Amino acid sequence: MTALAATSGSFVREQLRAPLTLALLVAVPAFFVLIFAGVLGTFAEALGGTLADRSATAISAGWAAAFLSGALGFFQVSSSRGADRRLASAGLGAFRVAVARISASLLLAATVSAVAFATPWLRSGIGHPLHAAVAIFAFAAIYIGIGAVVGAFVTGALEGSLLVMLFWSLDAFSGPQMTSSGGGALTPTRDAANLLIAAGAGQGSPEVDWLGVLAVTVVALAAALAAFWCTARTRSA
Amino acid sequence: MVADAAAPSAPTVVEDCLTPGHCVLRVEALEKGFRRGLPPRRRQIDVLSGASLMVCSGELVGLVGENGSGKSTLMEIVVGLLGRDGGEVDRRGRLGYCPQVPMLWDKLTVDEHFRLFARAYGLDDDARERSVADLLVELRFERYRRYRVEELSGGTRQKLNLALALMHEPQLLLLDEPYSGFDWETYLRFWEMAERRRAGGMGILIVSHFLSERDRLDRVYELKDGKAVLA
Repeated sequence: MTALAATSGSFVREQLRAPLTLALLVAVPAFFVLIFAGVLGTFAEALGGTLADRSATAISAGWAAAFLSGALGFFQVSSSRGADRRLASAGLGAFRVAVARISASLLLAATVSAVAFATPWLRSGIGHPLHAAVAIFAFAAIYIGIGAVVGAFVTGALEGSLLVMLFWSLDAFSGPQMTSSGGGALTPTRDAANLLIAAGAGQGSPEVDWLGVLAVTVVALAAALAAFWCTARTRSA
Repeated sequence: MVADAAAPSAPTVVEDCLTPGHCVLRVEALEKGFRRGLPPRRRQIDVLSGASLMVCSGELVGLVGENGSGKSTLMEIVVGLLGRDGGEVDRRGRLGYCPQVPMLWDKLTVDEHFRLFARAYGLDDDARERSVADLLVELRFERYRRYRVEELSGGTRQKLNLALALMHEPQLLLLDEPYSGFDWETYLRFWEMAERRRAGGMGILIVSHFLSERDRLDRVYELKDGKAVLA
């Protein structure tokens, strides 16, 4: 096994050995889809939006994946800052530590996305399951980036997790079909939300939304890699 | 070698190692400050202002100073965990570093830590197993190999912290208060280990607080007003 794969595997084990984390990986998507989705349409209507029931169910899975991935991304950086830097300075190097961290994060994001996808799919079905799966994973990957960048700048666990939650709340409640104000144009998950809303209703999406999702996801993952690298980097003596 | 401008009569560093080419660490005129707080309460704290010291192979060198004098900062700059504002650091050979606060992953086991660091140091499986077996016996924590760090006592965490710095037999070893949390027996065993390694040619720089340790050390630098002077 290469040093990179072994390090990445250790980072995944580190997260999965917290029983509460494991429970939340299942409970949060279930809570969002089974309880939150039921009132999301009404809530959007109150904000001036037009979110339909099946789309609300689908997008709630995306938000669940985003919320969990943002928290995981943040704690991947903040909880192991010292140990990661020590490992990098011992000879592994900041880049390999960062790649191991992002591999572990993506694996966790895929797990979170799978659980988030399965809940609405088993509950009421999704019109376009493949599109929905891609969009949910995009939500997760974008929030890995947001969580990791917050973790690189904010050292306190409380401050950092509150900041991730603030980003998430602003993003969720100003997203497409949630308000009449059009503020969703600036949110990082706008295109992923468009894909997911369309997939929930059984419709395809225009190419521009796919390209938008791809671009934002790539930028978010590059930002996550930079954040992991900055946290682990050492200065030459 | 750089002279101490603020206290010209006080010796700062030894001129050179007895055996040429055996200097494993030379720090010259190191400067480091931190900016803390937000405007208008933003302030500059200068920690190191021209600190110089040297460690030769086969030497056990102490670094003492009051709390906040910059001992850990100096160590972190030498390791590369912190950048410096000025001065030079010349480091030779394999480096081992034992930080003051154990830098470990709470959810990973003792064995998993050894495996991760062995890969970082470039040790193969056989070399790792030999080295780890010896260290576990020396520090007497063999039975904790499969324990997660979160399940260990403070003293056993510190043993792991120290063992990770030693497992690749470094040529320069930096120890930042490595025995905090050790019981008396382990503390004495630690010094035996350090002295054995010094005899084997390892250069060791250790942050120390106790006057009673001074006779174990070849040289002691005291960090005062940002400068290192021979004590």
